Amino acid sequence: MANDLKTFQPKEYYRKFLEKDVRPDGRELGECRSTVVNIGSITTAEGSALVKLGNTTVICGIKAELANPKADEPKNGYIVPNVELSPMCSAQFRPGAPGEQAQVLSQFVVDVLQNSECVNLQDLCIVSGKLVWMLQCDMICLDYDGNVADACVLSLVSALKNTCLPKVTVNEETQAIETDDKITNNLKVQTTPVSTTFAIFDDHFVIVDPTIEEETLATGIITIVTKEKKLCMVHKPGGTPLKDSQIQLCIDRAIERSGQATKLIDETQCSLDR
Amino acid sequence: MAGLELLSDQGFRIDGRRSHELRKIQCRLGVFKQADGSAYIEQGNTKVLAAVYGPHEVKGSRAKMLQDKVLVNCQYSMATFSTGERKRRPRGDRKSTEMTMHLKQTFDAAIITNLYPRSQIDIYVEVLQSDGGNYCASVNAATLALIDAGIPLKDYVCACSAGFVNDTPIVDISYLEESGGGPELIVTILPKSEQIVFLEQNSRLHEDNLSKVLDVASKGCKDIYAILDRAVRDHVSKVSNVANTTE
Repeated sequence: MANDLKTFQPKEYYRKFLEKDVRPDGRELGECRSTVVNIGSITTAEGSALVKLGNTTVICGIKAELANPKADEPKNGYIVPNVELSPMCSAQFRPGAPGEQAQVLSQFVVDVLQNSECVNLQDLCIVSGKLVWMLQCDMICLDYDGNVADACVLSLVSALKNTCLPKVTVNEETQAIETDDKITNNLKVQTTPVSTTFAIFDDHFVIVDPTIEEETLATGIITIVTKEKKLCMVHKPGGTPLKDSQIQLCIDRAIERSGQATKLIDETQCSLDR
Repeated sequence: MAGLELLSDQGFRIDGRRSHELRKIQCRLGVFKQADGSAYIEQGNTKVLAAVYGPHEVKGSRAKMLQDKVLVNCQYSMATFSTGERKRRPRGDRKSTEMTMHLKQTFDAAIITNLYPRSQIDIYVEVLQSDGGNYCASVNAATLALIDAGIPLKDYVCACSAGFVNDTPIVDISYLEESGGGPELIVTILPKSEQIVFLEQNSRLHEDNLSKVLDVASKGCKDIYAILDRAVRDHVSKVSNVANTTE
């Protein structure tokens, strides 16, 4: 009986649960799915992290390349994030060129990096005006069960914290580039941006960390990015209008989540260093 | 020989293996929820994920639909961070396209295709870290994913590579051994019936030695079969235990 209702009237099915302040998977409205972070699992990458948010899985690998800086910003390196939603992660994606959603997500990650000033681009400078690092951050979604944005940001930040760059110098006489793989420097990550996504159901239930079903049934989505208890970015692409008080509630929850996530990354990092 | 010594006088290879020794294999079935079947395999430092969707109706152009059997659709993709040098394109380059073709041909031969006419099975393979033997790891991972999806196969499909150094055949060669320029033989077999599904050999190898190298590679395939079979049985018993306790 319950299954029939779920198939034919999914909204009604959800409403019955939400009225009792619980979700069909047993979570409370403000409860995130269990989060697992695995840092440094890909040895061919300069930095890597795998994040699982319930069933949603995203892996981020960072490859460093040498590049010439732009003429108007001779000291700034580059960070190029790219999100890939391959047909592997869900039947809804087709093979071929990246879809709209993947491009929107990539741009979202670019905005998060810029707004949070997570990495100082001048740290990526090797020789001013001549040589800088370009960090290619590829995030591949392996299993798509909703809320990929949060998983992407979490995996990117964890991978950045894991990134180790070799020491590179330019010989002044010959202009040759010399790489010393023995001396590596950890990339300086100044802040830890954490994104938290909420789905709005029936115009008044606000649920955190939505699954794919919840995302498709939701009447609106709001994503809040915080860094160290400070608000960094709010992204609300249309949908149900919200009241100030509701947004304030989201922000409070996002800050709470941010603390948990930061602690999780740091703990995983520590267990790795040991 | 210039450069690296692939096989020492004592009979050890660069990574400390003997000539007939496989790399350590670790595998898991059912790693993802969205896919109908999925698997992860690690062969030494090569790490591969496979996901299977289907059988489902033919998507995209209807012209591809086959009236008498299922359409096997493969996609081989290498993560841009999987290699030492960053890959520009994860798929669509010639090497990946060739690999996609090989996988499709291999599984076309191993899946009992006439059971699902006018349908499609998708096999997606993602190489997360590459250290030689990508094709072999992809085939082994895809086999596990197909089994996890419950798609009828004639038999397990096991792939293994072999090389030939200092008159000695070496099994399951790594990236260093692959790039040494020596001969490389890749073989895919159905271990129970001992049938060869796919065989490829590059570079020069004396005819007299071919059977020796082939024997070593097929032995490797059978060893891999034993490991895959154990993984499948473990997985099935675990799943049935969970099913029993929840009932």
